[in-house]
Amino acid sequence: MDGPDEIIHQPIRLRVMAALTACDPSEEGLDFTRLKGLTGATDGNLGAHLDHLTRAGYVEVSKAFVARRPRTTVKASPQGRAAFARHVAFLKAIIAGM
Amino acid sequence: MTIGSDEAAAMLADVDSVVAKVKQSRIYRSAALIIMLWGAINLARDGLIALAPGWFGPRWFLVDAIGIAGTIVVLSRGATVGARPPMRTLAAFLLFYAFGWIWANLIGDFGPRQQMAFWPTLFLFGYAVAGLWFGWAFTAIGLGLTALIVAAYFWSGAAFSLSMAVITGGGFILCGLWMRRA
Repeated sequence: MDGPDEIIHQPIRLRVMAALTACDPSEEGLDFTRLKGLTGATDGNLGAHLDHLTRAGYVEVSKAFVARRPRTTVKASPQGRAAFARHVAFLKAIIAGM
Repeated sequence: MTIGSDEAAAMLADVDSVVAKVKQSRIYRSAALIIMLWGAINLARDGLIALAPGWFGPRWFLVDAIGIAGTIVVLSRGATVGARPPMRTLAAFLLFYAFGWIWANLIGDFGPRQQMAFWPTLFLFGYAVAGLWFGWAFTAIGLGLTALIVAAYFWSGAAFSLSMAVITGGGFILCGLWMRRA
């Protein structure tokens, strides 16, 4: 059994990855505000966790202007999806007593 | 790092909760678009009937056909790449229409006022029931707008068509905007 993913294991980052991987890979991802609501994190806190996940190559952050307003969109990378799936499998294995 | 089974279970429950919220949000956004589309259709149709009562009748269904086509486009755009067409949703629409047509035209022989009140409340009933599975916002919209339509039916007098334009037009659009944020 693989060990836990140290990056995803943190609760806010786990929620971020859960939300992003719930989106279809063909979709554009989730915007920062929506992600903030889903994770219960503050702006600064979420930003720091996204930096962490970006450095690990687990998410891709894109910034654009929509109707003259800045919009940050976050999407799970294929590597992030695989890491999240492994971490969830690890948690399930613990519950199963493996 | 050591993780106990209780902690693992709590983390998986957290994951499930977030995934459920994302899925509900996707349903709400797609439904909000459809509600706003029908708000615009209702506003145009009932507004025309209020201004020119001759618009009531077969032409009504031409306007509705635009709404049905728009609904199919929204549902198709919301589907993921490679997904099957939303046949179950379309079948539900057709069943509601068939049920409504039988009651409004064969059994009930409804007049214009009854038809204008009956059709939106029939579909809002569907919304209210769908809310039991897909989220409370559907039920709130279904019951809230139905209450307003029933009130208009009994108490709006000659301004009924105009009331319906406001409730099923403006009301649907406002509900759609609210649902996008719910």
